[in-house]
Amino acid sequence: MTRVRLLGGALFLMLTMASLALSGGFQLNEHGAHAMSLGGAFAAQASDASAIYFNPAGLGFQTNGSVYLGATGIVPKNAFFGPIEDNTNAESDMRTQLFTPINAYVTVPLMERWHVGVGVYNPFGLGTEWPGNWVGNNLSTKVDLRTFFYTPTVAYRLTDELALAVGISYVTGSVFLKKAAEFDTQVSLNMTATSWGYDGGLIYRPSAAPGLSVGLSYRSKVKLNSTGTATFAPDISVLPQGNVSASITLPATGYAAVAYKFSDAFTGELDYQYVGWSSYQQLAFTFSANGATVITPKNYKDTYLIRAGGEYALGGLKLRAGAYYDHTPVDDAYVDPLLPDANRVGFSAGFGINLTKNLSLDAGYLFIKFFDRTVTNTIPQTSFDGTYKSYANLFSLDAGFTF
Amino acid sequence: MKFSKVRFVGLTLLIGLLSLSCQNTQPSGPLPGLGGAAINTYMAVGNSLTAGYQSGALFASAQIYSYPNLIAQQIAIAGGATGSFQQPLYSDPGTPDPATGKAARLELLTWHDPRTGQPLIGPRGLAPGNPTNLALKTPYNNLGIPGAVLFDFLDTTNFGLKALPPRSNPLFLLILRDPKLGNSMFQQTANMKPDLVTFWLGNNDVLGFATSGGTSGTVSPPAPTPAPAFAQLYGLSIGALRAALPKAKIVVGTIPDVDGIPFFTTIGPKIALSLIAAGGYPLVYQSHSAPGVATIAASHLTEAHPPLITLTGSAAAAYIGHPTGFLYAGGPLPPGIDTTRPFGLDPANPWPDAFVLDSVEQAEVSQAVIAYNGTIRAVAAADNAVVVDFNAFFHSVKASGYRVSGQTFSADYISGPNGETSLFSFDGVHPNSQGQAVMANQFIGAMNSAYGMSIPLVDVARVPSLPVPLNKGGRVYPVIPPGAFDDLPMLWGAR
Repeated sequence: MTRVRLLGGALFLMLTMASLALSGGFQLNEHGAHAMSLGGAFAAQASDASAIYFNPAGLGFQTNGSVYLGATGIVPKNAFFGPIEDNTNAESDMRTQLFTPINAYVTVPLMERWHVGVGVYNPFGLGTEWPGNWVGNNLSTKVDLRTFFYTPTVAYRLTDELALAVGISYVTGSVFLKKAAEFDTQVSLNMTATSWGYDGGLIYRPSAAPGLSVGLSYRSKVKLNSTGTATFAPDISVLPQGNVSASITLPATGYAAVAYKFSDAFTGELDYQYVGWSSYQQLAFTFSANGATVITPKNYKDTYLIRAGGEYALGGLKLRAGAYYDHTPVDDAYVDPLLPDANRVGFSAGFGINLTKNLSLDAGYLFIKFFDRTVTNTIPQTSFDGTYKSYANLFSLDAGFTF
Repeated sequence: MKFSKVRFVGLTLLIGLLSLSCQNTQPSGPLPGLGGAAINTYMAVGNSLTAGYQSGALFASAQIYSYPNLIAQQIAIAGGATGSFQQPLYSDPGTPDPATGKAARLELLTWHDPRTGQPLIGPRGLAPGNPTNLALKTPYNNLGIPGAVLFDFLDTTNFGLKALPPRSNPLFLLILRDPKLGNSMFQQTANMKPDLVTFWLGNNDVLGFATSGGTSGTVSPPAPTPAPAFAQLYGLSIGALRAALPKAKIVVGTIPDVDGIPFFTTIGPKIALSLIAAGGYPLVYQSHSAPGVATIAASHLTEAHPPLITLTGSAAAAYIGHPTGFLYAGGPLPPGIDTTRPFGLDPANPWPDAFVLDSVEQAEVSQAVIAYNGTIRAVAAADNAVVVDFNAFFHSVKASGYRVSGQTFSADYISGPNGETSLFSFDGVHPNSQGQAVMANQFIGAMNSAYGMSIPLVDVARVPSLPVPLNKGGRVYPVIPPGAFDDLPMLWGAR
């Protein structure tokens, strides 16, 4: 397969991306099969082109240029039992969907100490679809949130021990929301936004402690001012059909990571990831037709993840495993069926293999279990108490080509 | 290549099996049940609220959502035998307006009437429907009779006589049908030997007076049913039920205050807005209690305890400020009225008594309601009946709405200013189908609590909303033609 065909294929696949919330809130952290297999603990190693997402300073320690691209298949299962307000714990199941976020990175070393690259990925996504006539359809029937980050990145190898990097992202987002409304209508909100963000990273590999790698990376928050249309079907006179706008701030995230090469064969890493979810205090839609603003408080809290992963080399085959804990940013009162969030644990396994000198393949599997969550004090706008149970299966495949 | 296809396939299969093995299991929680009790027969006693009457008529597509029918369905889900709950279904479009012979049902005909620029609400002029199951061999399970007052429960007067003036109410004959089934509402209830009875009477004892702006009532001179008479009748009624059905579950409802319903709260604020926009003229209205006229500043019409303007005045509101005698057309002018003066702004052409409930009349109404509810609670305690406090419930709806599963319901007319869904139908008095579902859930919640049952509540979102047309128009200022409320005197048992 030639490089051109590979890149062309990647471009086509990018345009058909779908996305899903898989980390706390609607953050997505699965941007490469290699990292996913390690429980996402990758910010200190950052040893392939997906460093553009996890820690761009990793490019500073890579001597070859590369193309790294692939896809993740995600199958979530969500169920709601209730609502308690109706004195029932009848089960409602979210529609089973397959989501396929795709990642694509290209990097090129320049001169001796510089390494540049560009990546395309979607760090925030949300897709939930409940049956059309379910008991919560005044809250949500379908939500689809997608973000695309196009990130040119530059890394600089300051010394043998230290690399720094920065990136700028051009961000596009789209929001689709459908739910029941007054007079037995269905309202669909269809909105888009463009914005920008930045990121940076640092990796320190002290020569005094060979095998040790310390990584820090940071991705800024991104404000999405989205605009679009509200369509009511059927279109009833007093309902605000027409333009609608909303502003959502995607949170900043930071990694503090340490990796250690215990032997030639075995490397382990531990990451602490911070997510600044307090940027998401409310969801407010403003309708031009009547100037009304509908506000739903969210009051998300800053939160964290703890990740651990290890890789064992067996000849040309690298076996990987990892796990993580993801603390939810949503308090009980604010849980609703648009995004049934909960604390989560993830268990991953995978492998990497060199097919030829330049061509490699990474494959990974991740199982995410949400803790069962019973909420009995939802805010008045929601008034929808009950129990949420969820889990997800993810399969990821990436191909890497170095040159 | 050291890579083994077989091992790869094996790994994939293993992963697939792992993912299939996870199931989401039902959490423990309330399973539907009746707490060990048996409910084989359920009887509902009441008036138009119980019948599922809405938008000025009785019609089958609304009757299926009456709160008794909904309660019966939910009890059946919980294991009761109430699945074949019988009601006096009247085929769509429903009962006729006696003055026109056409179906009386009020509809939102258009959001934009070219003559007024406002939405138009009224009957569509259709031929009325017919009763569909008169031949039922037992009493109906739903003995909600529109127009019934408390007195009617034990009353053994010939049903057909009530179809004649002064009651002019054909529905006693229609619903009770044959004295062989029982010669009163009470007797037909007792003859069915129910395990559960809901009893909600008393609203009409005060509503006739209130909705007529204090110009008619159950007694003469016009007033709500006097409290001592109500107390005696209520004690006798529940006492008779309890004596006939010693083991039955009896559930009664308190009477809501009338000032929370859109019939009284819709037109006043609209008039206030027009008067303020025109320069702040006060409204001059006939004061029933202090003979003559009284004035109210426009701004006061939107305050806490204003004179309440009835929905029946919606057509008249358009004439405020104009010299008009349209209210007195087809008859002699009452003394003192000069129709060359601006209507509603001049003591010689005041806003009429029948379209306003002034503060003295309101006090009469609220005192009656307080007395009635005191009686209801005392009698229920004495006769081991469960009380559903609709007075408190509708107070909280008026104050802060009713919220469930992402919907907000309010006591506004048709829809609220912030997208709230109305609980009321186009007549401004009777709840719409979703309102009936909300009331059913109040009954069910009280029964679950009092009897240790676990009956699932109705999913209000599944019950249809008010039907509205699809054309374009303005915000809701309802114009309802005179004659749309001709049924009211019959309805409230007023004389």
